[in-house]
Amino acid sequence: MTDDTVPRPSFVWQNRKLLLGSLSVALFFVAWQAVFLFVPLNTLFMTEPTMMFRALGQLIASGELFYDLRVSAVPFGYGFGAAILVGVPLGIIMGWRVRVGYALDPLMIALYASPLVAVAPLVVIFLGVGVAGKAIIIFLLSVFPFVFNAYAGVRAVDYLLINVVRSLGGREKDLYLKVIFPSVMPYVVAGARIGVGRAMIGVLVGEFFAASEGIGYAIAKFGDIFALDSMFACILVVTVIAVALTEGVRWAERAAFPWRVGR
Amino acid sequence: MSETKTLQAPVAAAAIAVADDTAAPAIGLWRRLEPTMLGAATFAVILIAWQAIPYVVVMKAGTKMFFAPPSEIAVTLWQLFASGTIWAPLGVSAAGFGVGLGIAILIGLPLGVLIGRSETLNALFDPFVTAFNATPRLVFLPLVLLWFGLGLWSKVVIVVFGAMFPLLINTYEGVRNADKLLINVVRSFGAREWDIARLVVVPNAMPYIITGLRLAIGRAVLGVVVSEFFGSNEGLGVMMVQAASQYKVNIVFAGMIVFTVLSLAMTGLVKMLERRLSRWRPQRAGGE
Repeated sequence: MTDDTVPRPSFVWQNRKLLLGSLSVALFFVAWQAVFLFVPLNTLFMTEPTMMFRALGQLIASGELFYDLRVSAVPFGYGFGAAILVGVPLGIIMGWRVRVGYALDPLMIALYASPLVAVAPLVVIFLGVGVAGKAIIIFLLSVFPFVFNAYAGVRAVDYLLINVVRSLGGREKDLYLKVIFPSVMPYVVAGARIGVGRAMIGVLVGEFFAASEGIGYAIAKFGDIFALDSMFACILVVTVIAVALTEGVRWAERAAFPWRVGR
Repeated sequence: MSETKTLQAPVAAAAIAVADDTAAPAIGLWRRLEPTMLGAATFAVILIAWQAIPYVVVMKAGTKMFFAPPSEIAVTLWQLFASGTIWAPLGVSAAGFGVGLGIAILIGLPLGVLIGRSETLNALFDPFVTAFNATPRLVFLPLVLLWFGLGLWSKVVIVVFGAMFPLLINTYEGVRNADKLLINVVRSFGAREWDIARLVVVPNAMPYIITGLRLAIGRAVLGVVVSEFFGSNEGLGVMMVQAASQYKVNIVFAGMIVFTVLSLAMTGLVKMLERRLSRWRPQRAGGE
């Protein structure tokens, strides 16, 4: 508030957060590279940034990286899509039909608390290592954030709006379409942020267990053959994708529901 | 989850309006028991249906190997405890969980306070916090196994990675929300940064920290399971994976139940702590 009277801050001061952030990332890579000027590098246990980026370049040039990413993206799409299609309506019904909520809430909490990753071996044995098996693991891990958030979203619906629609002769369908669904959306998007992370865990779990392709398989394989430069490159790629997805959802959240920022 | 608690009022209103419009004022015994009864009924229906499947559907021999009725799982669970075979692997898993969560708290809390109090530190650490928090920890597992080998320490590293960030981020949020006025008062009386943290910032951030702890517990349990699945030679997760590869589905489910009960119990404990610690809050809020 008091800053209004202060003369315009300089460019550096305005962007200091971004600048400091980039600076620290740059410093991190420089320090990482510099350490091995003093310490002998054992490439079986560690790699340095230059080697990592060279490996990354090779993986991109040979097309391996994009092939593996595509292989992983397909079950991710199916599993995550199914999680939205099942989780959101289920959460909405649980929130709106109070008795359904009573009936299902404890079950959902128990399932959410249980390490569902544990069914992964069973799923893999049952369905094999293909798209279906991975998609089911991803679905199981990522469906609950949607259920819980849609549930919470319905419970936060402004009751006044419902009464207005009812008074003006709206039906159940109008309530769902005009009041409930729009007010649940921000919650669903917030759930998507958590769901994306869990879905990525699902991809990795499925591929670590048993797979012959995919980004998770690539990481495990490079680890097994001590190709640490390629392994680090893949880890870096997964990190970048993870940040892009979560920040992307956050950006969408801000763009679509600006009134909710800060919640 | 914590959000839902404050939203009870509209729900109650919705309950009355949606369920039935007649019996609003007199809240009977059934009304109070209904949520519990309905919740329990769901479990009962699922268990009965599960148990009844073999009598209704004819399963092929191959499918039968993947099927364990609840009664069998319950017997297995009982035997695991009665014979004492569960304690050794459970102890191993608990050690990984405890040490990991402890280290996560020891790093996450002070770091959260630091980056909450200093804009510069926050800007410096932010890219790493964002990146590590978004990245599934599992991606580091092959690397961690390479560095630390099979055993306690790989597990601890994975647990720390998972549990630290919810704690750190929540602590940070809580610190940022500290009352500036109180900080200025304490500072006027000659308090150093340490005293500010001790007297104002940390007590004020307590609800956030507890929420972070609750999230951290969930992630720590997941970390234990996952790291034992892929890189360990003992522990409850190892027991489950071995059972799965031998088609002993009952042991897999028994293990899942143990993990679920433990994580629900711990989350419940933290929730109690949360209520305990926030008892003094409403009185203080009078000054607002």
